[in-house]
Amino acid sequence: MPITDAHVGRTYPATAPYPVTAGKIAEFADALGDDNPAYRGPDAVAPPTFAIVVAFDAWEALFADPELDISLSRLIHGDQRFDIVRPLRAGDEVVSVLGIDKVRARGNSAFITVSVRIETTAGEPVATSTSTLLHTWPKEESA
Amino acid sequence: MSIEVSTELPSLELTFTRTDLVRYAGASGDFNPIHHSDHAAHALGLDGVLAHGMLTMGRALRVVTDWVGDPARVVAYGVRFTKPVPVPDDGVGTVVTVNGRVTGVADGVATVSIEAVCGEAKVLGSAVAEVRVA
Repeated sequence: MPITDAHVGRTYPATAPYPVTAGKIAEFADALGDDNPAYRGPDAVAPPTFAIVVAFDAWEALFADPELDISLSRLIHGDQRFDIVRPLRAGDEVVSVLGIDKVRARGNSAFITVSVRIETTAGEPVATSTSTLLHTWPKEESA
Repeated sequence: MSIEVSTELPSLELTFTRTDLVRYAGASGDFNPIHHSDHAAHALGLDGVLAHGMLTMGRALRVVTDWVGDPARVVAYGVRFTKPVPVPDDGVGTVVTVNGRVTGVADGVATVSIEAVCGEAKVLGSAVAEVRVA
């Protein structure tokens, strides 16, 4: 049975530690076509939307939870917000915790709001990523 | 830098090519095939490959970070993905024009409303960044 509002409030164990490296930050900034010098060098900060790379790791918990019946290929990203305590920096090691905040089912689809809390392995809060995802199930499989 | 409500930020013109999408897929880890494969896009009833919403979101924020210089000043950023950005495999790509306007300044934080337009379509809705300016 797919995700319902009964799953609101569910959280998942923290992801494995993610090491933020200068090379990965530069690669991401290159992919954004952004040559801001803050994103380069050993003391680089990450572009604000780099947090999605870490959040994406945490989303894997959604796809792995058989109760939810959610797959990436059936998801549409509806909205996205980042609340940033401080930028991710080269040398950070972070973990993230996914929580299901809201579920609105409608026919064979559901709007799912998830938040991912990102903090360092030392427990320092870094950022929160909040996303609304529209998931659509094939009609014959819908509840 | 004079910051008051209604300050217009310098606009940006962003071009999205297939190569940009492939590069972003690799850098972000988002390999959803609708962002590189027409075959996969057609199977979902789409006309063709679409840009990652996160790529549009990430590139559009540059209107703010180029303006303030230091991206560490960004404290919040949110968007709705209202319309997709189609990226045909035509060697030309798709242009998105980004504008920003200050809509509020309080406690040293400016609120910037961002508009991103592709052709006639507003591809981001309710796009707002909050950035420390003092």
